[in-house]
Amino acid sequence: MRKGVLEYCILAIIRRNEAYPGDIIDEMKSAGLQLLEGTLYPLLNRLKNAEILTYRWVESTSGPPRKYFILTEKGEEFYQLLEATWIELSSGVEAVVKANYKKADNESNTTEQ
Amino acid sequence: MKKVININFQGQVIAIEETAYELLKQYIESLKRYFSREDGGDEIVNDIENRIAELFGNRLKLGINCITDEDVHSIISSIGRPEDFDTEYVESDYIGGRSASGHSNTAMGADHSEPATGREGSSHTLYRNSNDKVIAGVCSGLAHYFKLDPVWMRILFVILSSALFWVYIILWIILKSKPLETNVARRLYRNPNNRILGGVCSGIAANLKIETWIPRLLFVVPLFVNMIGMVSMPFFPWSRFLDDIDFNWGINMSVVVIYAVLWVIIPRANTVKQKLEMMGEEEYIKSIRETVSDNVASVKSRTDETPGKVAVGSMPPEPPKQRVAKSASNGAVVGSGSGGCLNALGILFKILFFAFAGIFALTMIGIVIAFLVAGTSFVPLKSLFIDHGYENSLMWLSAGLLFAVPLIAVVVWIIRRSVKAKSRPLIGIVAIILWIGGVITASLLGFKVAEKFSVESSTEKVETLAGFNGNKLYVDMAVYPNDYYSFNRGIGSDFDLDDFPYYTINKDSLLFSNIELLIVQSPDSLYRVRTISSSAGKDLKVARKNTESFTYPLQLRDSLLLLPEFFSVPISQGFRQQGMIVEIEVPQGKKIEIDERLDDYDDFETNSSVYRKLRKNRKNKVLDWDYDEEYILENGGLHKTVRFEDSM
Repeated sequence: MRKGVLEYCILAIIRRNEAYPGDIIDEMKSAGLQLLEGTLYPLLNRLKNAEILTYRWVESTSGPPRKYFILTEKGEEFYQLLEATWIELSSGVEAVVKANYKKADNESNTTEQ
Repeated sequence: MKKVININFQGQVIAIEETAYELLKQYIESLKRYFSREDGGDEIVNDIENRIAELFGNRLKLGINCITDEDVHSIISSIGRPEDFDTEYVESDYIGGRSASGHSNTAMGADHSEPATGREGSSHTLYRNSNDKVIAGVCSGLAHYFKLDPVWMRILFVILSSALFWVYIILWIILKSKPLETNVARRLYRNPNNRILGGVCSGIAANLKIETWIPRLLFVVPLFVNMIGMVSMPFFPWSRFLDDIDFNWGINMSVVVIYAVLWVIIPRANTVKQKLEMMGEEEYIKSIRETVSDNVASVKSRTDETPGKVAVGSMPPEPPKQRVAKSASNGAVVGSGSGGCLNALGILFKILFFAFAGIFALTMIGIVIAFLVAGTSFVPLKSLFIDHGYENSLMWLSAGLLFAVPLIAVVVWIIRRSVKAKSRPLIGIVAIILWIGGVITASLLGFKVAEKFSVESSTEKVETLAGFNGNKLYVDMAVYPNDYYSFNRGIGSDFDLDDFPYYTINKDSLLFSNIELLIVQSPDSLYRVRTISSSAGKDLKVARKNTESFTYPLQLRDSLLLLPEFFSVPISQGFRQQGMIVEIEVPQGKKIEIDERLDDYDDFETNSSVYRKLRKNRKNKVLDWDYDEEYILENGGLHKTVRFEDSM
């Protein structure tokens, strides 16, 4: 996945509700996005070090206590930034790609004729 | 059939197959290695371990007895092996993504000062390396530029320090400081895992792929041999077996200095990555495997006592909660590069301390060995200074306390250190008290011995050579009838025979050649020989008694006067700085010649009061003369007769 996109997804999940890594993995998987724990954990750690995320410990019945991640104020700001970038990017990409489709359509029309 | 072991994993008791456990262990090690490059890598690994523990817990909840290889495999594939990780996210970071967005990036912390682009360019530009420095990182930066191990560059600068000093200073001034990544695969580090003193030898061994004891031996043996040689030099005739052998402090200091310099210029392998560079990757993995199998072996031996499968239901009710507190302190990362100079200074002090402690210990060992080697020849000598009974036992006591206590203490310390026992200050305190006791008894003994030299006395004997009426007296030496060289000379062989105050200890007497031969003018027409014996003693009475028992028989054959080679004293006297002055009185107008052989007399030189008193009281002037020359005494002086004849 491209830089920034994964962060965007993760922050989106955490923003909705505080989440622990297991939740994030599950949600990403169910959305069809393959994510390894080995990729996720260092990422979370770096986001935490950058004070975008913070976490609290929650006792678990099925193992050691879990880290539940929460978005900080700084993280919220960063999320807004990412969102803006994403929208910008995706709309740009869409525009470009759509133009391509139109052209392809036109071309197919002309060949039929 | 597979063995099942119980492990405590993140506060959970997990029953796991042995093979699965090994897999897991290796996997976690690989993660640790992978994440060691990253800030907070430990925490990441810890989190992943937590996750694994949770997944294990879920498995076990399903009613499975234990974790199998397959379980571990499936967990590993879900978490991913390090090589599967999205390296993009590890090598760079989200900042890249953010700056790609084109917005201002003031909001986020600037803790990632090492953009990926800087890495390629930096090897072609000269910088000072702030990541790895002893003084200012100049050597390290140069090494980076030439793709060398910084240690070699530092050694070069140390060896050519006089020539390269200004180069260093100038480079320090003109180069910019920059944190640089190592660009050599294999580097010399000090090994913190296997060290006695800083881990220099251990690191060298790891770098050269040899056993650790080899470099250690190379350092210790010259030091040790030299130390023993130095200490035992007076007691043992090394020079007889080996030509051109020399033991001195210079050798000790150069060994210590080389070690100290290496200690300072070789960095310590702190992170897993540095350890990898130190050992070479395969070696490191092998060593991990060894530790893993060691662990397994120890676990196995414990589980062997309770054979069969371990019950699963032994899960702790609630995991401990102390992790919360731990997480708060995770942010504090120890700055490794800061205060390099201060660090070096601290290390220097440490080295100095250990060097002196080491030299002291080695000296002690050397003295003890020297005692053992030379003891047989040393012991009889003891009786010359030390009386039987009280003083004797005092001597053995102080020798034991002074030498054996530190030796035993050092040996105990080394043993305890090597088995990693807890330090017990009490041992040290007791050893120090005993040693101080040794110092006290030794000084007591010293006083006792010194007391024996406290008073000096002398006896004067005059022998008139009545049977002699000739005009010329020829003085020669009566050679000692026995071959004294075959006698035990007492202490050591490195002393020149003539340097030693007494020659030999035969069974009942001590022989001294500590004699000064003088010629004075006789007051009348007779030749006389005056002997003045001098000796020290505990008190005047003893000293005087000593001097009276000197034996110095003169023989007169016509005009030939034979003086004995030695004067002898009873051995019971011991060594009391005995000495003798022999004065030959020559009458006016008579001749004398003294044979060269008498030059073997060691001139009795002492600043004793007795000697000075004698000189003052003597009315006759001491005359100058040479050996093997005929003199005639005229006008209060000795004149060469040969010259007389020449001038006539």
